Amino acid sequence: MSDPLHTQLCEKLGIEYPVVAFTHCKDVAVAVINSGGFAVLGEAMHTPDHIAEDIKWIRDRVGGKPFGIDLVLPAAAPEEKTVEELMAMIPQQQRDFEQAIKKKYDVPEPKDAPDLHTWGGLDQKRALDQLEVIFDEKVPVFASGLGSPAFILDRAHQLGMQVWGLVGKPRQAKKQIAAGTDVIIAQGYDAAGHTGTIGTFSIVPQVVDAARGTGVPVIAAGGITTGRHLAAALALGADGVWTGSLWLASRESDLNQPLKERLIEAGTEDAVFSNCISGYTMRTTRSPWHDEWASADAPPVLKPPLQMMLSSDYIQGSLDYQRKDLMTEAAGQGIHYITEMKPARQILSDLVEEALDVFDAFADDDE
Amino acid sequence: MRASNEETHTPPYKSGFNPDYKGKRAECDGGGRMPDSKHAGRQDFAGTLTGDYRDFGDYPWRWYLMNQLTLKPDNFPQQAVWCDEGSLEFPDD
Ligand SMILES: Cc1cc2nc3c(=O)[nH]c(=O)nc-3n(C[C@H](O)[C@H](O)[C@H](O)COP(=O)(O)O)c2cc1C
Repeated sequence: MSDPLHTQLCEKLGIEYPVVAFTHCKDVAVAVINSGGFAVLGEAMHTPDHIAEDIKWIRDRVGGKPFGIDLVLPAAAPEEKTVEELMAMIPQQQRDFEQAIKKKYDVPEPKDAPDLHTWGGLDQKRALDQLEVIFDEKVPVFASGLGSPAFILDRAHQLGMQVWGLVGKPRQAKKQIAAGTDVIIAQGYDAAGHTGTIGTFSIVPQVVDAARGTGVPVIAAGGITTGRHLAAALALGADGVWTGSLWLASRESDLNQPLKERLIEAGTEDAVFSNCISGYTMRTTRSPWHDEWASADAPPVLKPPLQMMLSSDYIQGSLDYQRKDLMTEAAGQGIHYITEMKPARQILSDLVEEALDVFDAFADDDE
Repeated sequence: MRASNEETHTPPYKSGFNPDYKGKRAECDGGGRMPDSKHAGRQDFAGTLTGDYRDFGDYPWRWYLMNQLTLKPDNFPQQAVWCDEGSLEFPDD
């Protein structure tokens, strides 16, 4: 049997293993790239200057190997407001509830109060400013983590860049493939963060069907934390896997130690789909904040960014004072299998070994 | 939490109107993100386009205004939303 892990994606990127790490941590990205995988660094929260510095940092350490940058392009936007207008929109009932949670759990005040001044205004303008750096730096792969990247395809292709799109519905995949997107990431409900509502096992084959005959590789995302998941994704027709939670508790990850411990302790049922953090529905680890907002006497969750204005002190306080009991982080349902703190290189090799064992077992059965 | 508003917001878009899209039913595979954070979410909308659009940047990146919303997230109080053209679907086409 030819190497089942050497997929079209490996050819397209010149990588050894069809495993993509999505991470916000540069050290994780570099470790995965230098171990034969691929990494995409999440830069949605950074300024253009910061993004440029990170790109240089990675380039200096990967010896010409390709890497990716992810931005979360918006796809819908309410009328813009200034931060003062937004603050005035937070009703007293929700302010009181936030205070009651902080009192009940003795949530410490953050050392430096989160600065909200960037939360009003235009999402599109911010994304365009970030995109300019990606183009200036001719980043090998640009991944759009949410909205359609159709409008930048011409420019990116002229510069020799690949554009990837992360979708939560098969019809988004069809549209993005028709527009010329180079690689589609099919993200299932099991995923950490801003997942859609279709499970990984259901969305991946549908997107594979949509891409059939186009030459566009499909990468499976959502809940992938073992080699069995990798083998299953390839069996569904995917050309690789896109993984986020897998790297959160790695040795190189810059998350603080108590949060890594919390993630290692967490099981699948702790990875809850809720809008209580930001007002957007996301999969994050359960915390007292989640439990209180899910309780019968909780007021309605506010829209983004108002809900985030309420939760920001809680989250920052929990991190500043290393309160593991209060902490929360985006995590997918595969978190069950994250049980120890390993170096990224070992995480990757364990994943690959286990997937190969699965294929070997099938091959043995045939003999 | 602390609020400041050091930025001045000069709209970086050009407004326009596309008569072909006025009154057209549409669905938006939308969503957005919290600026300067890793928090984001998918949001589904359905409604009727007014034909008004805004073009951002040189590409241009075109956004259409959708109102008479028949589908929107529970905690979305507005009756209208701007949608990225690449994220729109037209059920009647
Ligand atoms: C802590 C964390 C933050 C995330 N932030 C982003 C982001 O900024 N942009 C993005 O496209 N995806 C983001 N994601 C989602 C990942 O791209 C990916 O779809 C998801 O992690 C896959 O599910 P898994 O965690 O079960 O592997 C994030 C995931 C995690 C764990």
